[in-house]
Amino acid sequence: MYNFFDQLIVTLGTWLVGLVVATGNSVSKICCGQTMGDAAAHNVAAGTEIVLICVTIYGVFALCFGLATWLERKMLARIQNRYGPNRVGPFGLFQFVADGVKMLTKEDIVPARADKLVHFLAPAVALAPALLMFGFLPFGRNMAPTDLDTAVIAFFAVGAGSELALFMAGWGSRNKYSILGALRAVAQMISYEIPLVLAAVPVVMIVGSLSTTQIVAAQGADGFLDVSGWFVWTPWGFAGFVLFLIAATAESNRCPFDIPEGESEIVAGFHVEYSGFKFALFFMAEYLGMMAMAGLGVTLFLGGWHGPKLLPSWAWFMLKGFLIVCWLIWLRGTLPRLRVDQLMAFAWKAMLPFALFNIFATAVWFYLPKTTLLQSAVAWLITAALVVAAYWVVSRFVSRRAGAPRVYRYAS
Amino acid sequence: MTTLAHFQILASLLFAIGLFGAVTRRNAIIVLLSIEIMFNAANLSLVAFWRYSPHPEQLSGVMFAIFGIAISAAEAAVGLALVIVIYRYYKSIQVDEMRTLKG
Amino acid sequence: MDTAFIILSLITVGGAVWAVTLRNLMHAVLSLVLFFFGIAGFFFYLNADFVGWVQILVYVGAVAILAIFAIMLTHNLTAEDEPEFFSLRWLTGLAVAGAVGAVLWFAIKNNTAMSQVAPVGVASNVADIGRKMMTDWVVPFEVVSLLLTAALIGSIVIAMEQISHRK
Repeated sequence: MYNFFDQLIVTLGTWLVGLVVATGNSVSKICCGQTMGDAAAHNVAAGTEIVLICVTIYGVFALCFGLATWLERKMLARIQNRYGPNRVGPFGLFQFVADGVKMLTKEDIVPARADKLVHFLAPAVALAPALLMFGFLPFGRNMAPTDLDTAVIAFFAVGAGSELALFMAGWGSRNKYSILGALRAVAQMISYEIPLVLAAVPVVMIVGSLSTTQIVAAQGADGFLDVSGWFVWTPWGFAGFVLFLIAATAESNRCPFDIPEGESEIVAGFHVEYSGFKFALFFMAEYLGMMAMAGLGVTLFLGGWHGPKLLPSWAWFMLKGFLIVCWLIWLRGTLPRLRVDQLMAFAWKAMLPFALFNIFATAVWFYLPKTTLLQSAVAWLITAALVVAAYWVVSRFVSRRAGAPRVYRYAS
Repeated sequence: MTTLAHFQILASLLFAIGLFGAVTRRNAIIVLLSIEIMFNAANLSLVAFWRYSPHPEQLSGVMFAIFGIAISAAEAAVGLALVIVIYRYYKSIQVDEMRTLKG
Repeated sequence: MDTAFIILSLITVGGAVWAVTLRNLMHAVLSLVLFFFGIAGFFFYLNADFVGWVQILVYVGAVAILAIFAIMLTHNLTAEDEPEFFSLRWLTGLAVAGAVGAVLWFAIKNNTAMSQVAPVGVASNVADIGRKMMTDWVVPFEVVSLLLTAALIGSIVIAMEQISHRK
């Protein structure tokens, strides 16, 4: 029974592929009088599989995007003691459909002096990496879209393309606010990409592979509960998870790291000059990027699709990703925006050294013996002591001035 | 069928384009980027040699390409920092206006 | 030649030609990004996945962004006094590049080893690359890490010195 629900989507996919191949066979029998050759049948099956995977991922996550916008507005409303959307559908649940219709029917304005080509290409370039990033995450047991042995680095490489899109948007609009927003966005994303990658390095060190499927497999434990193997329970895994969450928040330009689009400072940053569907594409890219980052966090630290066998594996993956998204929304509702210099100081003086210390602690953990329970406990305590000491050193000495009042170098 | 010669001719064509840019353009940033084009052409050539070599398990071409990418990244960082400093000093980044050795 | 090779060569050659000829600097950098993606595509085509991803991560994610930053910080969006097409400077550049290209082409044409077809089943595995890097290639690896640190400190020092001069 459990296996049936666990493999429901896989079985459905296999059945659909079989159906398409069988249909192709009957069609070619009618047209050419014989069934397809083995090679042709193989090609048809592979092509159908690719189309099915793409349609499923993009369909599911486009729906998730719509629901996430609703959830964000509802949760922010709850934090700010108001109702939020409540007119369209039950609890305002269909608000995103109404928003979509509004976006589609709005006028598409291109500034007269804009760089037309760059302005036009930027939303598409922004959305493409956000969609591609989903291709490297295993969503459930036997449910990895691709199984590359370079998946983690591929994820980060694809994500690097989104910086360029923000810059194209900011520059192509020819507006001083948008170009300021783009400069801020690129500086921030480049700075936080380094702690993001360094936070993922310990996991790669321990597993010994860049493949996301193998990383998830390494976090599995036998039995009903299946939670003991998650990397977040180890000291380095916990520190890495915290670093990853902070860096991922900054990478997806979310509050408190939303200085690229700070409404009160530079209107809306890089997408001031975008309206209608192009704006919707930027919005979608931001949310999909956020969800993909949450998915990578789940894959690297929260055991991927592993979990107690009460829910199917894919449901566990979605649930954990949903929790991270909720956490990001909560953060947005409660924290004020950082200043640019605080942001940079935090990336380079706090997160970078701490991530490097964390890699060292991971190396110590790797070489400590962990055969008996006592040895494991000792290893856990030593690594935890190292991580705490690293945190103390970084917060006491390295980043002491990170929260200091601003020094104006040129203005005063 | 694509042979090794196709890749090498393409790589040398790209190298020539990069050289053309580095010789012709006056803007220091574009000169640096033309040098990056030449780096990339060389990397393409190395990886193609690896792919067609009788001992691919040695991974020599791949290793050369990885180190080449690392070195050209360092070169780009230092080069662009120099461009910014030169711009502050001369208020221009046209390469033929930098004639003095003394700063 | 197959279709993938033709498409990828069109992308790379087109991107490179635009990058060195376009007068709008931002457009030149964006064409260069196209060129970088094309080269990464060639690396995937040649079964060197890892190098392809590193190419995208380093060139698109870092070098192109750095170049854009340099353009922004130097307020120089359009290059007014770039050489005209078919000016003396332009023709000289064409002659030099053409001569170098011709020499390379001649060398490739007269080499019999160049006409072989690709052996099957050649792939670069990340684990093998890592093992090689830590055994046979450990000295270059350390030297490159030293070089990168030096470049990092060097570029910071270059930028910092100017600030202290101003005061």
